[in-house]
Amino acid sequence: MSERIKAVKYPKLEHFSEPNVITTTADFIFSWARSHSVFPFTYGLACCAIEMLTSGFARYDIARYGMEVFRPTPRQCDLMIVAGTVNEKMAPVLKRLYDQMSEPKWVVSMGACATSGGPFYDGYNVVNGVDKIVPVDVYIPGCPPRPEALFQGLLELQGKIQQFKFVPEKPAGYELFVADETAPAAKEEA
Amino acid sequence: MGLVVGSNPMSMDAIAMVLVERFGADLEDVRIQEPDTVVARVAREKLRDVAARLKADPEVGYETLNWVAGVDRRTALESVYHVYSWKTNTWIELHVTVPKAKAEVDTVCDIWPAADWHEREAWDMVGIRFIGHPDLRRILLKDDFVGHPLRKDYVDLAENHPHV
Repeated sequence: MSERIKAVKYPKLEHFSEPNVITTTADFIFSWARSHSVFPFTYGLACCAIEMLTSGFARYDIARYGMEVFRPTPRQCDLMIVAGTVNEKMAPVLKRLYDQMSEPKWVVSMGACATSGGPFYDGYNVVNGVDKIVPVDVYIPGCPPRPEALFQGLLELQGKIQQFKFVPEKPAGYELFVADETAPAAKEEA
Repeated sequence: MGLVVGSNPMSMDAIAMVLVERFGADLEDVRIQEPDTVVARVAREKLRDVAARLKADPEVGYETLNWVAGVDRRTALESVYHVYSWKTNTWIELHVTVPKAKAEVDTVCDIWPAADWHEREAWDMVGIRFIGHPDLRRILLKDDFVGHPLRKDYVDLAENHPHV
């Protein structure tokens, strides 16, 4: 995925010294904009949350990726960073909050606990991985992962978001187009 | 009657002497745990009586309950109360043995209101039932959890892991 993005020639500022236009695809421009304005959900459950908070401050500065707008309500979010151990009592709450997030939505499993239960995998109250409850897009290893590792995961997620197709494979009028193509074949048979 | 912190400084030996004198056989195995704790064992039936008298004592009054711990000693359960005295700036630790066959002990909620959530936790984790508690239900685990996981003989149950 990242190769495709790298291959795109971004216009430079000097190209706009006079009136100009950019031609691109709807898929590209919308998914590009979407991947650079992700609103994460503040879902810190354990010590991974400390690393997630650190990513937001000046030293690591998650704002460089356009993801600095952490929201405390699921209605305004499209990315759930599950940062910490999910226990059995939290599981239905997590599922409910995920359902309340607006589409399109993504989930990042941050750290060993959210991915597999981690050091608490045989705990009496621990869910062995958040993917048992909600679909996960990116897994980040580490215990806890450093902010750099979180950013690596978020960049992978950006690549995944950019793969998203807005324009359907079969646009409106596609059936008419297909019917025209098959019409001569029918004549030949006759 | 205002409470003055540290208003009655006493040595640990003096406190232990006062307690032995006042409570006699009600406090068993009284010993001093340095630097500032008196440890004692209380019979299950006498707990409420001892607790009320400890709190009301004008000299060493143990006013503040800090936590109630449930312990599994394998042969029996134990309910441990850590209480602080602001007058003398010392602790008392009350150990109450609770047999596994009838894991019940009287609540001290009405004497020390702080015991409310601690007793719920002890019920949740170790399964000690506190008689007279106003609202004894699980506090940390989910409501339909089966068993008491901090008991030594607890085995992990599949019904406690529905998300597999």
